[in-house]
Amino acid sequence: MKQAFLIILLSVSAFAADAELFEKKIRPVLATKCYGCHSSKLKSPMGGLVLDTKAGTRRVIDSGKMLRALQFTDTKLQMPPSGKLPDGVIADFEGWVAGGAFDPRVDAAVAVVASGMSIEKGRQWWSFQPVRPMVAPVVKDRSWPKTKMDRFVLAQLESGKLAPSKAADRRTLIHRVTLDLTGLRPSFQDVEAFVADRSADSYERLIERLLASPQYGERWGRYWMDVSRYAEDNPTTEATNPAYSYAWRYRDWVIDAVNRDMPYDRFVKMQLAADQLPGATRSDMAALGYVGAAPIYHKDARLSKEVIENLASDDWDERVDAVTRGLLGLTVACARCHDHKFDPIPTKDYYALAGVFASSPAVERPLADMPPGDERRFLWIQQRMIHLNYLANLLTGEPGTKPEEAKGKVVRFKAEFAQLRKELDAMGERYPFVKKYAVRFDPPPQRKAGDPPATRRGNLDRSSDAPFVNAVYDAGMYVDGSDGDLTVLDFQPGKARDLPVFLRGNSATTGEAAPRMFLAVLSKGATGAYDQGDAGRLNLANQIFRDAGPLAARVMVNRVWAWHFGKPLVPTLSDFGTQGEKPSHPELLEDLAARFIESGWSLKWLHREMLLSASYRQASNPRADGEKVDPTNRLLWRMNARRLDIEAFRDSLIATTGELKMDGGGPSTDVDLATNQRRTVYGRISRARTNPLLRLYDFPDPSQHSPARDLTVTPLQQLFVMNSAFLESQATKLAVKVEAAPEGREKIQDLYRRIFSRDPSPKEVDLGLSFLNGASMQQYTQALLSTNEFIFWP
Amino acid sequence: MIPTLSRRAWIESAFGATGLSALMSHEAFGAAPLGPHFAPKAKHVIFLFMTGGPSQMDMLDPKPALAKYQGQRPSTVDLRTERVTGGLLPSPFEFKKYGKSGIEVSELLPKFGSVIDDVCVLRGVYTFNPTHTPARSLIHSGNITAVRPSMGAWISYGLGSENKNLPGFVVLSPGNGGGSLWRAGFLPAEHQGTQFNNAETEPDKMIRYLKNQHLDAAAQRKQMDLVQALNKDHADSFGVDALLEGRIKAMETAYSMQMEASDVFDVRKEPEAIREEYGKTEFANGCLLARRLVERGVRYIHVYYGSGQVWDDHTSINKNLKKRCPDMDQASAALIRDLKRRGLLDETLIVWGGEFGRTPVSENGDGRDHNPYGFTMWMAGGGVKGGMVHGATDEFGFKAVEGRVSIHDLHATILNQLGINHEKLTYRYAGRDFRLTDVSGEVVREILV
Repeated sequence: MKQAFLIILLSVSAFAADAELFEKKIRPVLATKCYGCHSSKLKSPMGGLVLDTKAGTRRVIDSGKMLRALQFTDTKLQMPPSGKLPDGVIADFEGWVAGGAFDPRVDAAVAVVASGMSIEKGRQWWSFQPVRPMVAPVVKDRSWPKTKMDRFVLAQLESGKLAPSKAADRRTLIHRVTLDLTGLRPSFQDVEAFVADRSADSYERLIERLLASPQYGERWGRYWMDVSRYAEDNPTTEATNPAYSYAWRYRDWVIDAVNRDMPYDRFVKMQLAADQLPGATRSDMAALGYVGAAPIYHKDARLSKEVIENLASDDWDERVDAVTRGLLGLTVACARCHDHKFDPIPTKDYYALAGVFASSPAVERPLADMPPGDERRFLWIQQRMIHLNYLANLLTGEPGTKPEEAKGKVVRFKAEFAQLRKELDAMGERYPFVKKYAVRFDPPPQRKAGDPPATRRGNLDRSSDAPFVNAVYDAGMYVDGSDGDLTVLDFQPGKARDLPVFLRGNSATTGEAAPRMFLAVLSKGATGAYDQGDAGRLNLANQIFRDAGPLAARVMVNRVWAWHFGKPLVPTLSDFGTQGEKPSHPELLEDLAARFIESGWSLKWLHREMLLSASYRQASNPRADGEKVDPTNRLLWRMNARRLDIEAFRDSLIATTGELKMDGGGPSTDVDLATNQRRTVYGRISRARTNPLLRLYDFPDPSQHSPARDLTVTPLQQLFVMNSAFLESQATKLAVKVEAAPEGREKIQDLYRRIFSRDPSPKEVDLGLSFLNGASMQQYTQALLSTNEFIFWP
Repeated sequence: MIPTLSRRAWIESAFGATGLSALMSHEAFGAAPLGPHFAPKAKHVIFLFMTGGPSQMDMLDPKPALAKYQGQRPSTVDLRTERVTGGLLPSPFEFKKYGKSGIEVSELLPKFGSVIDDVCVLRGVYTFNPTHTPARSLIHSGNITAVRPSMGAWISYGLGSENKNLPGFVVLSPGNGGGSLWRAGFLPAEHQGTQFNNAETEPDKMIRYLKNQHLDAAAQRKQMDLVQALNKDHADSFGVDALLEGRIKAMETAYSMQMEASDVFDVRKEPEAIREEYGKTEFANGCLLARRLVERGVRYIHVYYGSGQVWDDHTSINKNLKKRCPDMDQASAALIRDLKRRGLLDETLIVWGGEFGRTPVSENGDGRDHNPYGFTMWMAGGGVKGGMVHGATDEFGFKAVEGRVSIHDLHATILNQLGINHEKLTYRYAGRDFRLTDVSGEVVREILV
């Protein structure tokens, strides 16, 4: 009791002190120095920021911007504009924030509702502007730049009073660029040949050779698959959301398209609308896996219509998110429940896009040609039969309290199923692949006594090489709640579904209609709604590149930059909206984006521009002056060194024995199978069970779009290196390979050439010989594979 | 030359005189911890998870009205759930008052009854989804889709680890699946729960790659010394680099973790009397390991009872509960008693429950359906009052009517006991700040000491 009283006393006096600080030291400064530009009473407060409300003030405190602006340490963020406040005043603010930023003001209800940016104002946003090539700035050191982009980099280095680093030595360079373009280490012979080759264009020829190798597509296709969240199943696998048996065809399509340097705009259009794009072939249909193998959730027919609609809208939401963050760098999914708080994206725009995906359900489309009418019927029958089968099984297993009624329904479902089966068989007479497909609807074979027990195939092993692809087709997805006990999915081919706005994201409370169309703020010219007959995927794809091309180009250039340089120009790779960060080199990004479009959206053009630059060829070693002025290397005073990702690490490990298989695609194999010598990109990717080895090395969650991998260095990774059967067996195989060499010294040399693609130094030979005196060659080999040098990408 | 110095001396010479412990600073493995925001009551959380949804009416929430209206469906309450159910099904299990507090507990849980004065029973918990997977996601991550970070990942992210040789978020589960329940989501990968299989009793079977199959400690140390000597030369030629240094440290941590984990994860090192007290079942081993991990500073330990949805009794519920309750009862009671004896209960919050509860009406004659509308969980230690009942369901045990606690409230309260303001534990992702508690959650102040 006494204690409680004391606490109350303390907190009362603390309250008084806080209030005094605010009223005496804080509020007067805000009022005289800030309200002029940042008040809710202004029609358009600067930067949308208001400091005369508690909520508005809180925002800049929480983001850290308030103190940063006052402290004048960040050249881009300094407030007030009239000049730095006296140190004492800044100290008051620092103390106030550190003490919890007590703020007695009470906001009017309207003031706390942050309002999104208007469409008109949004059109002025930097990343939505047209792009054009920029005049490269004048630099003092004219001899350093090698490609145009170098002059932008050098100009900023010079204004930061930093010199670029010296060029990386040729051994480092060939390591860097081979890993970069193929995800593999160069062989010892490659390194030696490159070091010896003193011709002027040796580096150019190296890059051309690497770009032309099939391993290039395996590396850069995999990068894209982080963006497109490629996987082969769903987070849960149930009757209405089975695993994707043909998703691997999407993976192979991506690798092939990247190898052929398919223009980036066409590459994306294929993935959204290969079924409607002029010039697309039947095998391009695999590209639709981008939408057709995206994650979906189970729709249990016993749940109410409302719950099913909400589950379905989670599926559509995922696609809106993957498309807008992945392709446009916009967080449109924030507008699902309310207008976007910061960006010019009204809820109506969100539902206009969601409607496209509500009209594009996942199906298994044949790889062989089929006339559109027949195909549409086949796809619908496929969906309907799977659903009827599910409903009949459900009611047979759990008839509920009205068993007679349930029995009646089962009879009806089975009758329709049988009818459709007949139709499918008739179709099978004309199309052999349909005949093959229909087999899955046969009753399971009768088991005879003495048969071995049936083994259920695991969730992860559903892949098939039958001639189908996981894709989508144009059919509105509707939810039929007319039977109070059973909620049925109803797909209507050729009848796209326009959604209304779901108020607060809830399908049960709907607002205005939101016909399918492109984001208003990005639309150019006529912004008509999409046709009723198809989902509008091709319209969407075309508008991304016609209306929002500059934004799409900026986003992709920034991604490619990050994959080459290890750090992006715009740190928020998938947010180019008002909450995203600004580019470190704005003019460079503009220039590259403009010339990327001019090149015909050629990724290989972009690679050359970046890889041939002097910026890329810099050494990555630390430098005291750089660390001091620019510790995060924002100005690019050196190349960024990195850790290998799991794909490059595992592939390089296997390659040391020369046994890495180079024969490409097909259905996936688990990456941690001891017998699997295929490249990691061909490993099975599961949403339900991310492979533990992939996860250990920061492979992203494939249930959602991933802007970038966060590469960690953890003790559990080192346990893998020290103790796993995989490392041990690689080391054993490698030790056997070098057995032939007569002397320990030569064995060591052979190992260094295979593992590090170089000869050992005399000291390294001595260390090795001394270790081998009492330890096995296998232990020595594993030690070499465990070193930093092997996983380091300088 | 192989360094001839002792291992410690070698490491010290390699890294200056700072010594190994200083090198194991948190910064090497990720951002500095954010919290706590205020003085914490608890330092650790043990969540005992009853997958499938245990029955409150048979264990912790006595409802005499069920017998009175047996087989009926009173029109005063809408008892509908997702599946077809029959009339009210009384519990055959007798409830008795236990302890000074006199809280009623079912005869299924006599040992738990004996520690009831240290427990706060929450009888008014509710959730938002009637289906296992989404409801399980919700109680783990605050969201029904299986993509957000798990609570343990949030806590590891917010507070960091106290023991650099062990992960901050440990999962003890005999199942193989369920990885999505302890995911780090968008948080840095180091906060992901690390799963150990408590169906095994030998540590090297529980932890992937923990033990080298061929080398003894001395041979492996020799191998490590070679690796680190090569790493040092490599670092010297390259220059100071956080990644290179980080990996050198991580390798030393991994090396010592082999010993530490071999020790901490070995329940066989406990005295026989203690093992007897917990029972020697899989779940008992999980509870005992949880205590050993708490002693070594692990933040968050999630112990799963069995693998699969074991408490999902749509049929034969009485028979099943009689089979399952004894070892659960014994181990959870032993955990409370043991922690208290060691003076650790005050700083360790134990939480018990499933993704939802069960219906008071029958399903299939002798089972119960899922019930998200009202169910029971309990907490013990960690600054939560003992010998207390908070909240209540209606007279049949169907809907929470008093002292209602949502899953977000539960999360807010757990974070609060760890000194974390749930509204301030945020992570910026995909354009906005995310929280474990989404946009809701109230700390249940009534139950706090």
